[in-house]
Amino acid sequence: MRVRAATKTKTEADTKGKTETQLAKPWNVVVHDDPITLMNYVTKVFMQVFGYGKDKAHRLMMEVHKDGRSIVWTGAREQAEMYAQKLQAHHLLTTLEVVDG
Amino acid sequence: MWVARVDEGFVFGDLTPASVETLTGVPMLLESADARVRARLLPETCHEADDEEQWRRHAVPELERLFLSRAQLVRRDLATLRKMPKSEHKLLLIPDGHASAWLAALNGARLALYVMHDLDAAAMEPEGFAKATPKQQEALLRIHLLAELQSVLLGDLDLEPSGPFEEFVIE
Repeated sequence: MRVRAATKTKTEADTKGKTETQLAKPWNVVVHDDPITLMNYVTKVFMQVFGYGKDKAHRLMMEVHKDGRSIVWTGAREQAEMYAQKLQAHHLLTTLEVVDG
Repeated sequence: MWVARVDEGFVFGDLTPASVETLTGVPMLLESADARVRARLLPETCHEADDEEQWRRHAVPELERLFLSRAQLVRRDLATLRKMPKSEHKLLLIPDGHASAWLAALNGARLALYVMHDLDAAAMEPEGFAKATPKQQEALLRIHLLAELQSVLLGDLDLEPSGPFEEFVIE
C-alpha cells in the first residue's frame, strides 16, 4: 500500500510539473503564406483580430508574403489558441508552436 | 459588373448568369465535404499529436458551426438577388452589416476552388492561365471574380454614396 501510494504521489507530481511547464511556456501564433488570400485582406484581419495599427499589420502581412510565414503573436497558450481560431475563422493559414528554450 | 455604394451597403449590378452561378456556389463551397477543402479550411494547427487532438475536439467544431452560419447568411442575401430591367442580368445588395461575413466567405470559397482544382501559385500568375486546363481556367475566372467583390468590400475602390437602395436608379 505504501509503495502504491508513493508511486501515485510521484506520478501526480510529475504530471503536474509537466503541465505547469507546458502552460508556462509561451506559444507562437504563426500565419503562413498562401497564393489566394488578398494582401489587403490579411492586413485587415490582423487589425481586426489583434487590434494592431495599420503599419504593424501591414509589416506582418509583408513578412508573411515575403518569408512565407510570420509569428504574429506570442504569449499564453489559451490566448494563442483563441487568436489562432479567430485567424482560421477568416481562413488565414495559421498554426501554433511552443516557444523552445 | 458595376458597383455602387448605397446607404445600406454595396450594390453589385449587371451580374451575368455566369457571375450569379459563381456567387451561388459560395455557400456550397463553404459546406463542401471534399477532403482537400476541409484540409485547407480546417488545417492541422499543432505540432504535437495531443495538442492537435485537443484542437480538433474544441476549436474545430466551433469553426465548422461558424462556416455553416456564414454560408446561411450568404445564401439569404443571394435569395434577394433582383433581376435587372430589360435584361437577364441581376443585382445584389450586400448590407454593411454582412460585409465582414461576406469577405471571409469569399475568401473561403476562393481557397476551396483553388484546392479542388489542383491549382498552384504559378497558375495564379497572368502567364499561368494559358497553361491551365479548361476546368482550371474556369476555376481561375471564378477565383478572380470573387476577388473583385472582396476588393470592393475591403474599400479598395472609392465609391460615391448613391442614397437609399430603394431610390437607387438603375440606368
